[in-house]
Amino acid sequence: METLVSIILTIAGIYLLLGLLFAILFLFKGITKVDEAAIDSSWGFRLLILPGTICFWPVLLRKWIKGQNKAT
Amino acid sequence: MAVSYKPVLWNRQKKKYDQILWMGIALILGCFAIFEFLLHPTITIETLIIRATAFTAIILLHIILMIGPLCRLDKRFLPLLYNRRHLGVSMFLIALVHAAFCIIQFHALGDTNPIASVFLSNPNYQEISQYPFQTLGFFALIILMLMAVSSHDFWLNNLSPKMWKQLHMSVYIAYALLILHIALGTLQYEKDLFYTILLWSGFLTISGLHLVAGWKTRSQLRAEQNALKQEGYFEVALLEEISEKRAKAVFVDGQNIAIFKYDGKVSAVSNICKHQMGPLGEGKIVDGCITCPWHGYQYYPGNGQSPPPFKEKLATYRVKIIKDKIWINPSPFPEGTAVEPAIINHG
Ligand code: HEM
Ligand code: FES
Repeated sequence: METLVSIILTIAGIYLLLGLLFAILFLFKGITKVDEAAIDSSWGFRLLILPGTICFWPVLLRKWIKGQNKAT
Repeated sequence: MAVSYKPVLWNRQKKKYDQILWMGIALILGCFAIFEFLLHPTITIETLIIRATAFTAIILLHIILMIGPLCRLDKRFLPLLYNRRHLGVSMFLIALVHAAFCIIQFHALGDTNPIASVFLSNPNYQEISQYPFQTLGFFALIILMLMAVSSHDFWLNNLSPKMWKQLHMSVYIAYALLILHIALGTLQYEKDLFYTILLWSGFLTISGLHLVAGWKTRSQLRAEQNALKQEGYFEVALLEEISEKRAKAVFVDGQNIAIFKYDGKVSAVSNICKHQMGPLGEGKIVDGCITCPWHGYQYYPGNGQSPPPFKEKLATYRVKIIKDKIWINPSPFPEGTAVEPAIINHG
């Protein structure tokens, strides 16, 4: 039980840490590629979606990569 | 295309909503704290915060869950629905204070990781009366958190409306977890019957409202369907059967009809191409025109006419959408008659 809990918490921690790293890149660059309504958006807005970006980063990453392929 | 995102779309009405919301929250917090202090004058400030935030958050959750069915029963409740997200985010923040204080108070003093300690400090997972109810609160908090962080419209668009809706339906799972969190936690040692009555009457109110609202929606739906049947419509397809810019061909009442889905609309025309009777329903919409799969003759879905200078015209049919189903009236209009397409609304 103890090892199980610590394994799950470690995985969750790594996931969220990756999310944080991704979020920094995404909020500076990727966001405008994924959603054109975000092109002129304020930093208030970007800060507001930061927690969500950390939680849902795989969805945004997939969209970002897809958008990249379409552009080239 | 769209205007750019704003952090919060505040206008006068929403400001008022939020003012009332936070005044209400302060009121519940304050009243509960005073009440609790009078009942237990020796209570510590931490315990007071834990209990007052828990109580306020669960009251807010009840209000949130009641808004949906209340609006379906009576349109006058709609202003409450208008800014429900702020209600949800506020509820999450208050529940977060409760959880954070519990974790600090009960789990941060040992040498295990405080969050691991929520799961490990009480291993009685087989027992009801001493069940580790805090784990249930933890999972509920995770659900509420995922909903709160995804409440901006950006997430509705970027997680896709379907996934967003599914995520936000899990509020009912959170509610169930929280009922157990309270029933297996506080109610196991709180001897005052008042709490038990409060919890279960809340539960009965919410389930009752959902049942009544569901019953009303269903009977409205049935009335609409009966009215359409009277007018000669037939239920022919599910919306999701047809992919975007494609069609489904149906035989109704001797008529061979192609039903097209495009740009959030649905239109129906004769399935038989004017050139050599090609099956239009196997074609797709190209540049806004139904395009025959055999030799490429084209027709507008809205009126069955070929784009000028061509003169071909198809018969058109009336279409209705009820919930997720497409209904067709198989009595044809004269060839080339414009018919309002049915609009798909993602409710
Ligand atoms: C990590 C998450 C959570 C932990 C560790 C936790 C822990 C606790 C503890 C230890 C109690 C008993 C407090 C007492 O009786 O003195 C409690 C009660 C309660 N909790 Fe939580 N909880 C969590 C999440 C939540 C959430 C998300 C809600 C949502 C509203 C919630 C609502 C309540 C309520 C209504 C009570 C009963 C109030 C009372 O005791 O007066 N909890 N929780
Ligand atoms: S049959 Fe339709 S284009 Fe020839």
